[in-house]
Amino acid sequence: MSSARMAWLASLGLLPAAAWGLLLFGPPAAAVLVVSIAAAAACELAVTLPRHGYTLSDGSAFFTGALVALMMPPAVPLYVPAVASAFGILVVKQTFGGLGRNWMNPAMGGVVFSFLSWPGLMSRWAAPLGSAAAGAEVPPLEALRAALAASGPRDVTPLGVLGRAGYPFSPMDASAVGWVNSHVLAPLGAALPQGSFDILVGHVAGSIGATCVPLVVAGAALLLARGVIRWHLPVFYLGTFALLSLVFGGLGTGQGWFAGGPGFHLLSGNLVLAAFFAAPDPVTSPLTDTGRLALGIILGVLTFLLRFFGSLADGAAAAILLGNCISPLLDRWLERRKSRVMEREAA
Amino acid sequence: MTDTTKLPKGGVNPPTELPGPRDHAIVNAALPNRAIIPMLQHVGRPAICTVKRGDTVSEGMLIGRADGPQSANVHASVPGVVAAITEIMLASGERCEAVHIDLGGSFQTSGKPRTARPWKSLGAPELLERIRAAGVVGLGGGAFPTHLKLARTPGTCTLLAANGLDCEPSLGADDALLREKAPEIVEGIHICQALLSPGRTVLAVSECSADLVPELERVIRDAGVPAQVVVLPARYPQGHEQLVVAALEGRPPRRDPSSVAVNVATLHAMFEAVVLGRPLIDRVLTVTGTTVARPHNLKARLGTRVGDLLEECGMDPARTAKVVLGGPMRGVTVDSLDLPVTKATLGIVAFSRDEAKAPRETACIRCGSCIEVCPWDLNPTRLYKLIRMGDDSQAAVEGLGRCTECGCCSYACPSRIPLSAVLGDGRRRASALGNGGGRNV
Repeated sequence: MSSARMAWLASLGLLPAAAWGLLLFGPPAAAVLVVSIAAAAACELAVTLPRHGYTLSDGSAFFTGALVALMMPPAVPLYVPAVASAFGILVVKQTFGGLGRNWMNPAMGGVVFSFLSWPGLMSRWAAPLGSAAAGAEVPPLEALRAALAASGPRDVTPLGVLGRAGYPFSPMDASAVGWVNSHVLAPLGAALPQGSFDILVGHVAGSIGATCVPLVVAGAALLLARGVIRWHLPVFYLGTFALLSLVFGGLGTGQGWFAGGPGFHLLSGNLVLAAFFAAPDPVTSPLTDTGRLALGIILGVLTFLLRFFGSLADGAAAAILLGNCISPLLDRWLERRKSRVMEREAA
Repeated sequence: MTDTTKLPKGGVNPPTELPGPRDHAIVNAALPNRAIIPMLQHVGRPAICTVKRGDTVSEGMLIGRADGPQSANVHASVPGVVAAITEIMLASGERCEAVHIDLGGSFQTSGKPRTARPWKSLGAPELLERIRAAGVVGLGGGAFPTHLKLARTPGTCTLLAANGLDCEPSLGADDALLREKAPEIVEGIHICQALLSPGRTVLAVSECSADLVPELERVIRDAGVPAQVVVLPARYPQGHEQLVVAALEGRPPRRDPSSVAVNVATLHAMFEAVVLGRPLIDRVLTVTGTTVARPHNLKARLGTRVGDLLEECGMDPARTAKVVLGGPMRGVTVDSLDLPVTKATLGIVAFSRDEAKAPRETACIRCGSCIEVCPWDLNPTRLYKLIRMGDDSQAAVEGLGRCTECGCCSYACPSRIPLSAVLGDGRRRASALGNGGGRNV
């Protein structure tokens, strides 16, 4: 398999999530996707055409543009994805020498750039098509945080707070959750909060490509099966994050230890999309499986800290940028350890 | 007893596109009308030519005398008349004298039964002299003089490995020899044991030859030779002697003077030299490729023209764009089919235009595939960058000297970077400078 083929396969892996996003959010989402990819391609051409010739066929710029778009809220003004992609390609990628030389992931660079530049615009979430308030803006993350902090210490789950704040869950969710609660969970003395079904199938407000985690994972399964990415980094990333949010996630709202509800945290936000499509980017992740595994754990910790204590709307992208800075150090550290082992064996 | 040991690390699965020999048989190639026999078919100094133009030579007659101990004898592979002695360029780029023999006269040895000479009462010096006189060198591609390899203080060898793994995908000569010449090979093992008194003896075979194990064990039992048969994975480059030893000992590969690996074709040649008194004048090699209609294991006289063997196997010249001597992974591209088969020629592989097309090199995406597949646990992409930056000495510090140019990194690279070739050049430069990048024979 060639490098270009790997990049195009990665874009193909984004397709299920992108299709779902277009279905959910309609023409505004399509416009974001087109503008973002066009901006990435134009910037790539502008820089590489005079010096290296036509490089769009390597698939890398297309992938960057697509990933930037899928991490944008659907209602964002179009100049935001355009600037984000341009920043990713021009500053993060090409100033360091283009494909293979950049030490940060271009798409994550662009996304974090927009989160820092337009924090308000980047959290304008639209309710998905098919829900009661289709197209309308729904309470942004800050309102949710405030509501969470204000409500009492008992029985607070993020979804419960959302429901009380008047978030429009779908009728399908009511019947599905109701059926599961009465037929499956009632005998066990448990119950799922309203909204569980919506958030599982991705029928919620969110970034264009990140709402439906099962479809993101299905696309990632293609990459894993074809050997485009290896499992070590995403699995240890998500595993560490899930563990930390389970253990410590409930502390902030007074629910105590081991009450964090990792399901909600894995199923919301850009985390899973970033864990499979940005973190394992070969250029900016370590060279060996041991290094990838170590970076996965580090990213899990960083994302947990940024999500629970940070001010950004999404922790995954920023955590990956920090992880990108660490991965050359991991490579070097493992290389040194290996040569010490070899010296011992030779002696 | 049979067990399967894993490759310590790395390696690639053989490319499936290339056809191997059609069957396991060894076919006698047609005799060359003119044999071109180079004086340099081994590692070391070229032999000194002992014939002149117009001389009549008999089959197996000495025509090149070893120039000191770091050299090997060369014999006439066919009877006839010396038509010319010229300087030729070998596939490796080295130049040497070559004796051209026009076939003629009678065969005094071929096709006639030979009586076995007793050898078990001989001491090590006499055995080594028989091996040396017959011009036996490593037939696994290394072409290192066998009498040098086996001249050791008895008791310093803990492991003797008879290497029955073909060293490259789609080559099948070692497998074929194991099928047809097992008793001779086992007697060759016996001779090695007499020379080395090894602590343990193993006949290592590939998964491709696994069906032979019961038969090989029977032959070993009948011969009363203390040896064990072990099956190793068919991954490339498992047949490399360091990796065979590493797999048998369950440790990472390294240069290890306490173990000796001898290829089965070499063992067969040793048997012929010691027991039959027959010098090394032919070898088994695989002729294959997608443009070859009838790929076969051929037993060819040394000095046979490469083009004649390809023709015999039905190569389509119109579709063939490239011919390599050796195997598909490490073979050397030749620009003339007039080159002769030598003691180091493992195989001849013909490639079509599509296969021979040089792929377009793109930027390294730091995927780490090359590190994954390197059997010597190197970091090829880093070494490549160091060499390209001109820092050969730092590359040597980071292990460049261990590179054997197996080609796994180049094969695995999704950006089609010629890692193996650049690392090989860098290693040779570094070893010429004498800063630690030693040759890995």
